[in-house]
Amino acid sequence: MKKLIIYSILGVMLLSVTSCYKADNWDAPSVRVHGRVIDSYTGENLLSSQNDWSIRIWERSWTASEPTNQNLPVKQDGSYNNSKLFAGTYDMLPYGGPFWPVTDTVKNVAFNGTTEQDFTVTPYLQLLDFETRLEGTNLFMSCRLKAPIRTGLPNLVEVKPFLSLTTFCGAGANSNIDIGEYSNKRIQINKSWQDEVGDSETSNVYTIGPLPVKAGYTYYVRLGANVNDANRKYNYTEIVRVDVP
Amino acid sequence: MKKRLLAYIALLGTLVFSQCRQLDLEPKGIMGEPELFGTEYGVKMYFTGLYNWLPIEDFQYYANDGYRRNDWATEKNSQGAMSGEYFNTWISVDNDGFGYWPYDRIREVNNFIQSFPNYKDKFPDETFNKLLGEAHFLRAYFYFGMAKRYGGVPIVTEVQNPLAGPEVLNVSRNTEYDTWKFIHDDLQFAIDNMSDDTKETGRANKYVAAALMSRAMLYAGSVAKYTESLGFKATELATQQGLAGMEPSQANEFFEYAVAAGKVVETGPFSLYNKHADKATNFASLFLDASSPETIFVKEYNRNSPRGNALQHNYDALMSPAPDMSSFVGAESFVPLDFMELYDMPAYTNPDGTPVRFDNRGDIRDGMEPRARGTMYLDGDELRGKTFSIQRGIYRTFDGVATDIQRGVNSAPINSNGNRILGGKGWTTEINGVTYTITGAHGNFEDQGGENNAFGSAFIRKYINPDMPTADVRDWRSDQSWVVFRLGEVYLNTAEALYELGQREEAFDYIAKIRERAGAKVVRPAIDMTMTNIGSINKANYTYSLEKSLQFIRDERQRELYAENHWWWDIRRWRTADQILNNFRQRLLSCYYVADEGKYIYLDEDNRFNRQWNASKSCYYEPIPWGEIGKNNNLLPQNPLY
Repeated sequence: MKKLIIYSILGVMLLSVTSCYKADNWDAPSVRVHGRVIDSYTGENLLSSQNDWSIRIWERSWTASEPTNQNLPVKQDGSYNNSKLFAGTYDMLPYGGPFWPVTDTVKNVAFNGTTEQDFTVTPYLQLLDFETRLEGTNLFMSCRLKAPIRTGLPNLVEVKPFLSLTTFCGAGANSNIDIGEYSNKRIQINKSWQDEVGDSETSNVYTIGPLPVKAGYTYYVRLGANVNDANRKYNYTEIVRVDVP
Repeated sequence: MKKRLLAYIALLGTLVFSQCRQLDLEPKGIMGEPELFGTEYGVKMYFTGLYNWLPIEDFQYYANDGYRRNDWATEKNSQGAMSGEYFNTWISVDNDGFGYWPYDRIREVNNFIQSFPNYKDKFPDETFNKLLGEAHFLRAYFYFGMAKRYGGVPIVTEVQNPLAGPEVLNVSRNTEYDTWKFIHDDLQFAIDNMSDDTKETGRANKYVAAALMSRAMLYAGSVAKYTESLGFKATELATQQGLAGMEPSQANEFFEYAVAAGKVVETGPFSLYNKHADKATNFASLFLDASSPETIFVKEYNRNSPRGNALQHNYDALMSPAPDMSSFVGAESFVPLDFMELYDMPAYTNPDGTPVRFDNRGDIRDGMEPRARGTMYLDGDELRGKTFSIQRGIYRTFDGVATDIQRGVNSAPINSNGNRILGGKGWTTEINGVTYTITGAHGNFEDQGGENNAFGSAFIRKYINPDMPTADVRDWRSDQSWVVFRLGEVYLNTAEALYELGQREEAFDYIAKIRERAGAKVVRPAIDMTMTNIGSINKANYTYSLEKSLQFIRDERQRELYAENHWWWDIRRWRTADQILNNFRQRLLSCYYVADEGKYIYLDEDNRFNRQWNASKSCYYEPIPWGEIGKNNNLLPQNPLY
């Protein structure tokens, strides 16, 4: 009797699970789009941070209503990649990053199989001559700012240090060490380029430190600087590995 | 037997069918339009439901989750906790909001405005106008709740037919300018038509409408003046189309409306609360005294009403420390040093950099602005028969300057090698044969979390009802009213609007009234027109410059209105939130006993949990609820940065 009950319960449970199974009449999204975001000054990929900003896409082959945008996050190396999209035609726009606004949306890109689409952007700022220096367990970082286009440049906001214990380093990186000892050392400028630097294209050296670091640890560090546009994202230096003896 | 049963069934059948003819009756238990709109009492009943849902950020407001939450933990999720005003549970700014979209309530108001004229002959003119004015006040309040979140929203003044086609129902957004103008027009109608009778507590009159006008128009003026500094125009369609943002040239119009509304309030029977000789007690009492002549409008609570109606709250139980002063979860909101030092404070650091030695911990209160003491409880203050006792730890010896503590880190030499002693609740230590309790009775405990653990040196006093016995301080036992509008706020609104209009001396006439009642040392500071872009809290770098005296007026607002749920809306409309909450790591004032001297010192430290508040520029406009856009594409473009 007991066995019978157990078996019937098992049977019912089995049924209840299998009954959920039904093949979807729509294929899983499988189309890939990828590409690079290129810095117009260097020709290299834009120095970015994981999860700082995105490529916006709008699916135009959907016509039943106005499509809202999807976002493809740009990675630290300045590339983006998404392999789980539905096939169709899309508009694409690099949006909300640390560069002069891109106004020409790339229209009607066909996503079908694998699509490669690169974008070229003009960063607000370049961070030059990045140097790191250790004094015992205090880290110093320095760089100069360069603004090739200064007409209409929003005010400078700040130069900020980023330290991480992984190779991911920057404002959007989860492993960014966000403590007062570091963030309080940022240099807040909040002036126009003219008031802060003058007529020159390149600023004097900004040095940030001392930043207390721990002996025996390996840090990945960089500096970022931003301007007061709507998004206030950072232009970065490259990431440098610092081994604290 | 069978026969009889059949007979019964037949009889029953006839009865049932014969009744059907009379089922088509007006139900007696439901009131229709003639009953509600045809009598003054009926209209009052109709309005009551709307009053209940006015967007008032009160004791029951969850910063990221809406009005009337009816949850015991509201104070942990308060707007002050979200915006860095309290050291509290760490709630971060959620730009998405909670989809506030009260078109259902607006429809109810529109229904009244549309149909009420059919009943005009049932009322004397004065009553008719008064009630119609009240409806416009209610509608303006709902629109204000949306305009401050979204900027421009669709202005719907008609009762839409739900069966009308999408071409009628899919309304578009109006511009932000038109939305604020609509709020102005509705409130102007309310002021012109409502009575000046202030007897009915919790219900609007012309002065309440004017007070809302004062607040709303100041908000609109600031948005117009400062939105440009955000730089949205370059890329954001919603700003380019005037849906999110206005032009600086439109600011003065709104500032003038705010000043005019303030003058209307001043013609009413209101005065700053001044019933007690002791200015600290006086300031604390103004929020509790039901007969305060400063109060313009309250939202009432009543602990004896049925549960589940959001008509009781838990403020006392969640703002006072348990078990001494609360019999429930207890306090988790503390005043950071950043806000304490806006007030007159006694020096706690000597000119040579060494900490001032105090004989008693409570001596920190000497020389503190009375208004500050009416806003917070410090060591030595009494509540419900117990005395606040707050101390972080002990220094065996303190031979150095205050900055030697390096913001309180353990690795600082003066904090090392057992010189600084921290401890848990009730822990003791022995120094040279004398046993000391390391902490105060109400914190700061290293072994405890945030509850009932005074981080820093102050608990909140504003709105705390000292007359409740501790045993009664439990969940859902508090019922002090929320003061929605008071004359003090209207004075500050007028002062700020006047200053923005360049009438500096007139502005400071109002500031002087506020500061005199507060007991501030300097009642009327000299006007300083030097430009600065550095704010007070977090030494924020604003993206625009303003005169130092205008910054003083902004600070005065925060001194007066701390913990009244204005701060977040203020830093939003000033467009400074993303700079003030830019790695805002609250500082705390910590008290230590110096064992070898037998004295107490106060030190400026970073908060132990490394809590930091951040806001991005997307905080200035919440996104139009995506679900609404899904139903109605005409609501596009979406607000900036979403």
